[in-house]
Amino acid sequence: MSRRIAIVEDEPAIRANYADVLRRQGYEVAAYAKRDEALTAFRTRLPDLALIDIGLGDDVDGGFTLCRELRALSPTVPILFLTARDSDFDVVSGLRLGADDYLTKDVSLPHLTARIAALFRRSDLSNAPAASDDVLTRGALTLDLKRLMAQWNGERVDLTLTEFWMVHALARFPGHVKDRDSLMRDARIVVDDSTITSHVKRIRRKFAAIDPQFDRIDTVYGMGYRWNE
Amino acid sequence: MERVGRARFALGIRAQLLLVLTVFLVIPFLGWSYVRELERVLRDAQERTLAGTAQAVATALHDRARLFDVTPVALESLANERDAGESSAGAETEQRAVPHPGAVAEVAQILQGMSRTTARIWVVDRNLDVLARTGSLHRVVAQSGPEPDGLESAWRRIERSVLHPFYALVLAQPTEEFADESAGATLREAREIAGALAGILTTDRRLTSDGRAVIVSAAHPIWVGDEVRGAVIVEETANAVLAERNRAFERLFTIVLAALLVGSVALTIFASRLTARVRKLRDDAEAAIDAQGRMKGALAGSLAGDEIGDLSRSFKSVLDRLSQYAGYRENMASRLSHELRTPLAVVRSSLDNLRQQPLPDESRVYIERAQGGLGRLAEILTRMTEATRLEQSLSDVERERFDLGALVTACVEGYRLAFPHRTFTCQIPGEPLRIDGAPDLVAQMLDKLVANAHEFATPDTPIVITLVRAADTARLTVENEGPPLPQGMREQLFDSMVSVRPGSGGDVPHLGLGLYIVRLIAEFHAGTARAGDRNDGNGVMVTVSMPLARAD
Repeated sequence: MSRRIAIVEDEPAIRANYADVLRRQGYEVAAYAKRDEALTAFRTRLPDLALIDIGLGDDVDGGFTLCRELRALSPTVPILFLTARDSDFDVVSGLRLGADDYLTKDVSLPHLTARIAALFRRSDLSNAPAASDDVLTRGALTLDLKRLMAQWNGERVDLTLTEFWMVHALARFPGHVKDRDSLMRDARIVVDDSTITSHVKRIRRKFAAIDPQFDRIDTVYGMGYRWNE
Repeated sequence: MERVGRARFALGIRAQLLLVLTVFLVIPFLGWSYVRELERVLRDAQERTLAGTAQAVATALHDRARLFDVTPVALESLANERDAGESSAGAETEQRAVPHPGAVAEVAQILQGMSRTTARIWVVDRNLDVLARTGSLHRVVAQSGPEPDGLESAWRRIERSVLHPFYALVLAQPTEEFADESAGATLREAREIAGALAGILTTDRRLTSDGRAVIVSAAHPIWVGDEVRGAVIVEETANAVLAERNRAFERLFTIVLAALLVGSVALTIFASRLTARVRKLRDDAEAAIDAQGRMKGALAGSLAGDEIGDLSRSFKSVLDRLSQYAGYRENMASRLSHELRTPLAVVRSSLDNLRQQPLPDESRVYIERAQGGLGRLAEILTRMTEATRLEQSLSDVERERFDLGALVTACVEGYRLAFPHRTFTCQIPGEPLRIDGAPDLVAQMLDKLVANAHEFATPDTPIVITLVRAADTARLTVENEGPPLPQGMREQLFDSMVSVRPGSGGDVPHLGLGLYIVRLIAEFHAGTARAGDRNDGNGVMVTVSMPLARAD
């Protein structure tokens, strides 16, 4: 049975383009232009993954509302924000509402499809036992590459996919400085420097929420970041 | 903030209003003139009254030849009459060797009728012998009424203790204690008697011998047939008029003084309120815009219905509109980039889709070119929003204390990796230079400075990065050899969207936001950024000064 992806996007050209590429990947795609239209459809049948734009026509925050409503319908369905907005405020708002990831529309379609595939993998495997060869352990940090989940001192750190890939890129070679470009490559996102900075800040904050003493991610000024053991 | 264009000798509104109030000081002067006029009228009236009295007495004595018939035994004349002085109050007629006592009694009786006035009446004959005299020049001073109580008494006390001494200084006070000894003597030479004896009704005024009172007198001839046989002289002090004048003046002056006092207090309060409101408006208006001319906060418009309230509202609306415009301008770049992102995504996703179609190789070339252009477009959009995003994020950046020297050293290490064909010379002081701020931002600032320097530097010349401590500031300088800055652009270099790059070559778009970001970050650290030519003239140096953290 093919997976079903819902695209909620008010711009018809983008909607069609995304739908085309996802169909070519073998997904079943349902595209909606409006929030209420999408919500009605979700109530009838939940999608396996939702790709939501924040601004939906005149409803500037319609995507946020829809995300909340969909999360209420299902706590597990992966939600991916895809938007032209890239301010920190919007990113944080989106993730707080329970979205699994946040991509700007700068993202290329291969990146997008890779991200979607990863999200599916994570939701598929979240209940399966971890195979040891897919686990990266660095001191208190455990990264489950199959399920794309991070643990610190045995506690789960609720990272988004982007954040997970960034932590993975850093922790794979402790002590090596990762510049912003390679971080972007490893995290499979295309963003500017300051977005990387705010991603790193958010990662630090999420670890610090579990362990206030957390100081493993070093900023190497002028170069990038480093996992420090 | 420094206020420009301020007059050197500034006079506040309050002082100006009080100055205007001095115009009203002309009122007491007008009052004074009016009272003087009143006094003149009263004097004339007094003289006419006296003349009338003299005429009345004389009329009663006309043609009584027997009064004057007898050769008088000059027992008494005006010359010695003065000895009697003022002891004779009331209707006392000197008894003399006058052959007709009945006539004398008659005169006395006539005069008696006049004695209730405050005048003194003499009847003399041609030899200035006094035939009769009645009345006194001295008035009986009335006792003041019962002491009033409460407010009125307080007011009276003030009047008595403050105002009366003051009036006594400026106004001649009538007194009943004057010398009248020489009255007789002077009477002999008095003009009015001479006039009267010459047959003309004459009035005159003279000072008493001690100069403390003015005596007004009128003399009327007594006719017997065609012959002047004597004269009636009526005298009175001018005290009544003087007292009347003084009273009028005092009342007027007191009222004017009170009105002026109340008026100036009211005006001062009014002016204080006015100036306070104007000052508040000024402070608010100044506080609404910061030193860079950016809007800081809205002005709260006043609700007052007058012109100042109006001014305040108009200020508010001007500032609001200015603020809207500034906001529009500031958001322009980010809104534009946001609006452009969607069509860009359409193009990008279409190209991505197209790439997955089976295409001839020659078509792929165009797709690659289109994607190259798209990449540059996306880069421009990102840079356009960089400054705006930085401005927004500056408000909630957490400050920490860090060593600027270590940060610069680390950054320079990074630059050596990033620009392998460029030499970097770095001078850092041995002591740590701690500043309070955001190390990420300082690194971003240094990135911009170095990227700029690298771009303008002549190939194979070093970029010199110097950090020195100057008093309480850390001074960071980035120098490069290369073309000097164009004249007249130095001040604007740090403004948004100002670029001095020739042409638009290169793969990286230039929007002139690099140095603007440098300025934003320097200002965030309470510092300044300056650009200038190097001392040797063939290079450029940009200096950023930031205050060191206070040691505590």
